[in-house]
Amino acid sequence: MKVIKAVYNFLVGDMIILVGILITVVILTLILDVPGLQSLKVISGVILIVAILTVLTTTLLREALGNK
Amino acid sequence: MQWAVIAAAFLASAVEFVEAFTIVLVVGVTINWRSSLAGALAAAATLAVIVATLGVALVRYVPIEYLRLVVGIILILFGLKWLKKAILRYSGLKAIHDEEAIFEENRARLRARGEVIAPRFEPFGVLLSYKSVLLEGLEVAFIVITFGSSAANATCNSTCGIGSAAIGAAAAGILVIFAGAVIRAPLTKVPENTLKFVVGVMLTSFGTFWGGEGFGVNWPLSDAFILILVALYLLASFVLVMILRQRKLQLDQAKTRQAPAALQEQAEVSR
Repeated sequence: MKVIKAVYNFLVGDMIILVGILITVVILTLILDVPGLQSLKVISGVILIVAILTVLTTTLLREALGNK
Repeated sequence: MQWAVIAAAFLASAVEFVEAFTIVLVVGVTINWRSSLAGALAAAATLAVIVATLGVALVRYVPIEYLRLVVGIILILFGLKWLKKAILRYSGLKAIHDEEAIFEENRARLRARGEVIAPRFEPFGVLLSYKSVLLEGLEVAFIVITFGSSAANATCNSTCGIGSAAIGAAAAGILVIFAGAVIRAPLTKVPENTLKFVVGVMLTSFGTFWGGEGFGVNWPLSDAFILILVALYLLASFVLVMILRQRKLQLDQAKTRQAPAALQEQAEVSR
């Protein structure tokens, strides 16, 4: 458990960033591998950028709103 | 040789070297230089073994596409972590990371433990220096391997990329050690938040680019798209800092309004 926590803190240390990026990875993997979603492949880059900006905004707003 | 990789590795590694060197200085000044340097050298030796074994294996046996994907995601995680902290500090919601304060804090802690400057090996000093240099050094090794491996292209293979990144990291290390030796204090002159902000933007941009390539994205303008990503993240960060500063202002105003009201309430209770 301590090792997992140390790795988590070393890599990211923020649950919103970790979960947000993992969800993005899952979505992009599905777009890449599922034939029915192949049409979305052209906007994979846009999805990645929008997801990163959303994750950053969400984690910062959480900090700001939690800071009372 | 790839100048973009050298520059990126230089900036990213400089942040880690500053952090590690601060601790080495604290131990050296407070306990003794022998323990401090012994810990730092032992950590450097451990790092050399780790990089020599894992680094080579990583480059030789892992396919570059998957490596780019994994590295891209990890760089995004690293980048967002640093960017978040830097933006919070610029907006005033988090205190600016003060190397001088950390130096004084560590010094006081060491003195409180009864540590005195002695010309012999102090296990605590060796361990503190070792741990810090190993942790920050691992991050540097990580930066060198990931930046170098992912930058491989037709003209420069993985080994060449790692070589370029290693040059950048080594230059940063030499510069930080030289600067530290000159000022003999924990690098208070280096604006750490600015460095972290720039590195955060760069890591996120490189991570987006390489992660996207791993997912089969064909970025327009090829590698030059990294500059567009940098501009995009800089703009987004600027907007976020403005929004958070507004929020900080609102919080401060609310506190100012609450203070007299609380005093009045207290006065009424005491009556």
